[in-house]
Amino acid sequence: MADHLLTVDDLKMYFHTRDGVVKAVDGVSYTLDKDETLGVVGESGSGKSVTALTLMGLIQMPPGRVEGGDATFKGRSLITMKEEDLRAIRGNEISMIFQDPMTSLNPVYRIGHQIGESVRIHRGASKAEARARAVELLGLVGIPHPEKRVDDYPHQFSGGMRQRAMIAMALACDPDILIADEPTTALDVTIQAQILELMQEVQRRTRSAIIMITHDLGVIADIADRVLVMYAGKPAEYGTLDEVFSEPLHPYTWGLMDSIPRAGMSEKSALCPIKGQPPSLVHVPSGCTFHPRCPYAKDVCRVKVPPFREVKGSHGASCHFAGQPDFVRGCSLDLEPEAV
Amino acid sequence: MSDDLKAVEVTDGGVIADVRPPPGSKPPTDELRRAAESRGNRTLYGDAWYRLRRNKLALGALAWLILLVLAAVSADLWVPQHFGKPNAIDTALIGTSRLLPPSPTHPLGTDDLGRDMFARVIYGARISLTVGALAVLVAVLIGILLGALSGFYTGWLDALIMRFADVFLAFPYILFAILLLSVLPEESRASIVPVVLTIGVLGWPSIARVFRSSILSVKENDYVDAGRALGASDGRLIIRHILPNAIAPILVYATMSIGGAILTEAALSFLGLGIIPDPVRSPNAVSWGRMIDDGRMYLTSNAGIVLWPGIAILTTVLAFTLLGDGVRDALDVKMRD
Repeated sequence: MADHLLTVDDLKMYFHTRDGVVKAVDGVSYTLDKDETLGVVGESGSGKSVTALTLMGLIQMPPGRVEGGDATFKGRSLITMKEEDLRAIRGNEISMIFQDPMTSLNPVYRIGHQIGESVRIHRGASKAEARARAVELLGLVGIPHPEKRVDDYPHQFSGGMRQRAMIAMALACDPDILIADEPTTALDVTIQAQILELMQEVQRRTRSAIIMITHDLGVIADIADRVLVMYAGKPAEYGTLDEVFSEPLHPYTWGLMDSIPRAGMSEKSALCPIKGQPPSLVHVPSGCTFHPRCPYAKDVCRVKVPPFREVKGSHGASCHFAGQPDFVRGCSLDLEPEAV
Repeated sequence: MSDDLKAVEVTDGGVIADVRPPPGSKPPTDELRRAAESRGNRTLYGDAWYRLRRNKLALGALAWLILLVLAAVSADLWVPQHFGKPNAIDTALIGTSRLLPPSPTHPLGTDDLGRDMFARVIYGARISLTVGALAVLVAVLIGILLGALSGFYTGWLDALIMRFADVFLAFPYILFAILLLSVLPEESRASIVPVVLTIGVLGWPSIARVFRSSILSVKENDYVDAGRALGASDGRLIIRHILPNAIAPILVYATMSIGGAILTEAALSFLGLGIIPDPVRSPNAVSWGRMIDDGRMYLTSNAGIVLWPGIAILTTVLAFTLLGDGVRDALDVKMRD
């Protein structure tokens, strides 16, 4: 196996709650290299964010517990690493952009102070050095008059500007991996596009790897090199952007794609949304977790958990029938899912 | 920079938005413009101060307290010269009636021993304000430390600290203070330390509880997670990210508590357990509570002896409460405009 920047191998993060064990992340594997963007997509509660937070060691333990698997960053395990060593990596080699820029900045500190904080923590930079770095970064993320805005407070920034500031914060120490947890969800559409463009631009300059967590396939299509589709804590499908978008293997991926309205759609070709709700992670369905919502489900799906299988190269899916020539995508509205 | 330039703000994405008032609207008056400029780059506390200045009642309370503090601090410079020392008997009065009505030499009259009431009220402010402030400081220091630990590290440490606080809160406050102070040797009570420590130590549990709940709500904020994701240590998170956002309720509670501590000191002094003036170490020590105790025999004949220290206690405690109220309103984020 070649040395990847980050290798996540069969990672399992369970939460032990009063209602039972929640398998928030259940056997997720992927690799990430320099200059590469991995898109992680799935519905709310599919374990996208927990996977990322586990890497950062930001999951409260207990109730969380890593039940198996490993995540190796530059040859060191992030899972067994001491908190102290992990802290040296956080914000320095792996940093994170949070979802809601309105609440992720501390209201009592100036923007520049917060952007400069990580260089002060990790590099022992002086106040003046940190400020200079903050000005430089604000300029990099496209804030006009950075030398003036650096002294602003968060409430003087608009939502889009705050997200830019969050990105500047994450970039302060030139991280190897940038984890973006739905960075555009809280923003309006025009700003979304600007932020995505900015992230790509930043990647071109810093050559860092990006893990983009989103529930928006459009974002994935824009920015990702490889895609991981997650469902109920498990990987549903994994492959390159091309593979997943042109030849999706998993009925769940089909469902996600058929749920997107397209320009020029006729009235007749209605959307084919996925029926039902994501399962409660305490009471996961037997067999394939997707079977109650899957229009193609057969008897075996109810009994047997489909393992993740590589179908072509690294492109694979967790479906008993994935890759079989007669297993083809049809509009899910034509097929009624069986009553559960 | 011209006013026109100032009115143009750059919004997100570098788009220039014109925020000048529409033509025909009234030009801003100088006063409005000054107000707008003074609120330009405001901090949370700068903003609070701006709002506090608009609260007349709180401002009046603050002015009264500042006046009192100034009078108490500078007392040695002017009070003995004009009105006599607070614990000295006016020698001219020996052999005559000592209870004098107000006069130019004794603006508030004299007490049963011929001591100048005005001097005693001013010097009494020293003890009351110092004891009040220091006792609350002791309570706040203990309360913030234990409250922060309790709120940040939930679990067994939290349970331990909070049960400890519950035990303290179940103590009969005044009785316990009386008990503590009455077992101390008299000579140690010439200083304010025993009273300060007693009131302070008994006051920490409420502060710890308020601060704990404040921490609990603040630590859920995304910026705390963001700080952690930057690699900040627990200590840095508590001190740099949580504390400044959680301190407002403590500021309010502490301001109001000073009034409470002054009342407790007065009550203890009334019971004879406050500061005992020592001719050498604290010749000028006067306590408002002690004055009321001294005067209670003359309540029907010469109410002034009780009235003046009573008014002093009342106005001071009221001022702290009003100021605390004002601080609370000023710090309330929901009222930010």
